[in-house]
Amino acid sequence: MRVTMAFATLRRHPARTVLAIIGIAVASALLLDMVMLATGMSDSFRSLLLARGYQLRVAPKGTLPFDSEATIDGADAIVAALRASPDIRAVSPILGATLALPESRIPSTFALGIEPAVQGDYTLESGHDVVIANDAIAHIVASQTFLTRSGHVIGDTITLAAGIDAQLRTAARTRRVMLSGVGRFFYIPNETPVIALPLPVLRTMLGAGFTDRMSMAMAEVRQNDSAHVELARAWIATTQPRITAISTDSAIRQVEERLSYFRQLAFVLGAISLAIGFLLVATLITLSVNERRGEIAVMRAIGTQKRGVLQQVMLEGLMLSGAGIVVGLGLGVVTAQWLNTILRDFPGLPASFDFFVWSARAAWRSLALLLVAGGVAGLLPAWRAASIPVARALRDEAIG
Amino acid sequence: MSRGSTRGTDNRARALLSIMASLLNQQAAWGRLLCIGVLLFAAQQSLVAQGSQAARTNPPLSPTFGRQPPAVRGIAIDARMATDLALHIGDRLQLSAKPGERGDSVRVDAIVQRRADPAEVARQDYRVRLHLDHLQTLTGADDRVDRFAVGVRRGQRSTSPSDSAVARINAVAFGFRAHRSRDVAVGSSRTFRVVERFHRAIGIITVVASAVFLLCLLLLTVEERRRDIAALRLMGISRATVVQSVVIEAAFVALIGSALGAVIGWIASLLVNAHYQAVYRTPLRFALVTPDILGFATVLSLALGVGAGALAAWRLVRTPPLVLLGR
Repeated sequence: MRVTMAFATLRRHPARTVLAIIGIAVASALLLDMVMLATGMSDSFRSLLLARGYQLRVAPKGTLPFDSEATIDGADAIVAALRASPDIRAVSPILGATLALPESRIPSTFALGIEPAVQGDYTLESGHDVVIANDAIAHIVASQTFLTRSGHVIGDTITLAAGIDAQLRTAARTRRVMLSGVGRFFYIPNETPVIALPLPVLRTMLGAGFTDRMSMAMAEVRQNDSAHVELARAWIATTQPRITAISTDSAIRQVEERLSYFRQLAFVLGAISLAIGFLLVATLITLSVNERRGEIAVMRAIGTQKRGVLQQVMLEGLMLSGAGIVVGLGLGVVTAQWLNTILRDFPGLPASFDFFVWSARAAWRSLALLLVAGGVAGLLPAWRAASIPVARALRDEAIG
Repeated sequence: MSRGSTRGTDNRARALLSIMASLLNQQAAWGRLLCIGVLLFAAQQSLVAQGSQAARTNPPLSPTFGRQPPAVRGIAIDARMATDLALHIGDRLQLSAKPGERGDSVRVDAIVQRRADPAEVARQDYRVRLHLDHLQTLTGADDRVDRFAVGVRRGQRSTSPSDSAVARINAVAFGFRAHRSRDVAVGSSRTFRVVERFHRAIGIITVVASAVFLLCLLLLTVEERRRDIAALRLMGISRATVVQSVVIEAAFVALIGSALGAVIGWIASLLVNAHYQAVYRTPLRFALVTPDILGFATVLSLALGVGAGALAAWRLVRTPPLVLLGR
């Protein structure tokens, strides 16, 4: 009965109701987007870091992985020490460098020196994985961007060069390698051409100074809970003073610190959209109650209790909010995709990183927040409606 | 420099140094002042001579070979680093390319403020500026650089001088490439273009939400005055006059709202700037209230106000006055 009456009241002014629903829909879409933005970055980055199960990153002292060109000396001893730890299941050393491509359409490519058995940088999409062949030709994996931009195909043999001397127009070291597979690299931006080749091959190419170096390493802790990971990180920090060990949680913290702008923007805009939704419902219901003073007084006069009037007016607010939220949900998902497409153009962003990540929990949280705001917004006018002095309101209505 | 001139410079320097020694012995103030000036000149001449002699006897291995920098080199550090590490001009530091190495002893000669560059806002790392040759020596880079800038002369050709210079350099380049500054700027400003597009998109959504809110409010405000409008119509005032008066009223409300909004926006921009400048420790201004933005906001709210007022008033004046009064 109350639902029918509340619905009838809203239908009485269709233009006003539609406008209010549109306003609430836009506000709830914005709120949903901002909640997705605030939580999506962390979720996306966490799943990116844990793509292959490695919870720890080891980088040169005071740096983040691949944040600078610094490398770690004595890499083999460090990797051996980490592998000897009973708490650590696997260690994957990585060396990154730029190699020249003398016979190719692109002058250079980013190269990752990896150990194929433990690598956690890419997943093979087609072809064969990196192989340390006994013959002179090593088999390497390339990204799709590399193949597209260089014009090479799987099975091609290419020349890699390092130690370029621009004046003598020579390369100190060259190596013939065969493209054996296509990989999807997790941490490399989409626009960057990249290849993965055996770590010893890359070290040899970079010269004597790199025979025992790595850019970073990833470590997988046996016990996959944050306490054990933190213990392993602390152990590495204590026993290896020349490197910095970063856990997934601390990496997320650092990235969130760098991208805190987006979280704060999400918070501010989320609060504004919530306020807009609240004000819209509050204003609309207040004016609606003012217009219907006589009607409410009649209801009270024929026996409707205060609580009944209160419930009906609050129901109007909730129905308005509910309708706006349902429309806003669809609108929010569409606008989130649009905004995500814009932000994914950020240069240097890993290919599988998203800013807006759909999560049912985030959606429910934001929409429930708006529904509560709608309910609360209707509370004050509902209380005023229920407290109308019946006799005076009826007299005012009769006199006009 | 020829052999004869080098020898002459060397002798002149030695002669100057011996004169200085005698002047210093006289303990006179003017002599000390003069000494310092002339000693600097003599030291420079002596260094030039030594460098030339070294270059003559041992052919240079690279352009940096044979340079004789002062024993302690000066560096510039950024103000953020100076504050955090309590460093001052004249402080001595050990600077090394790799952790754990002894490195070079250097002196802080300057503290520089970072530019208000959005590209550097999120970077919390410290920055030290060294002379190129110093950094090359420290990192073992010898004669290597990451990049260098080339200034081109204005030419008379149809193509721009920078285009032809880039083409000529790239035609002979091996292991490096030349890029026009414009292209580099486009590449490095991509981040800001993305942020700008994101802000614009967010702005569109916010403006739509605000516009609907404003429209709704103004419609309701006008509709609330149905009794007044009915009374005006019953008194014989024409529909056009009623609509005009409502529209003018709505425009006033919109203008006053815009003025209040501008003040709130200005205060918010001050707070935003104060907060983010403190968080990122930069002089960069994050929020700007420009005349264009003010103009856009005012025009938008005025248009919405007038539109909503006219729409609501037209609907009301078309309704018979007695109906408006509920009769």
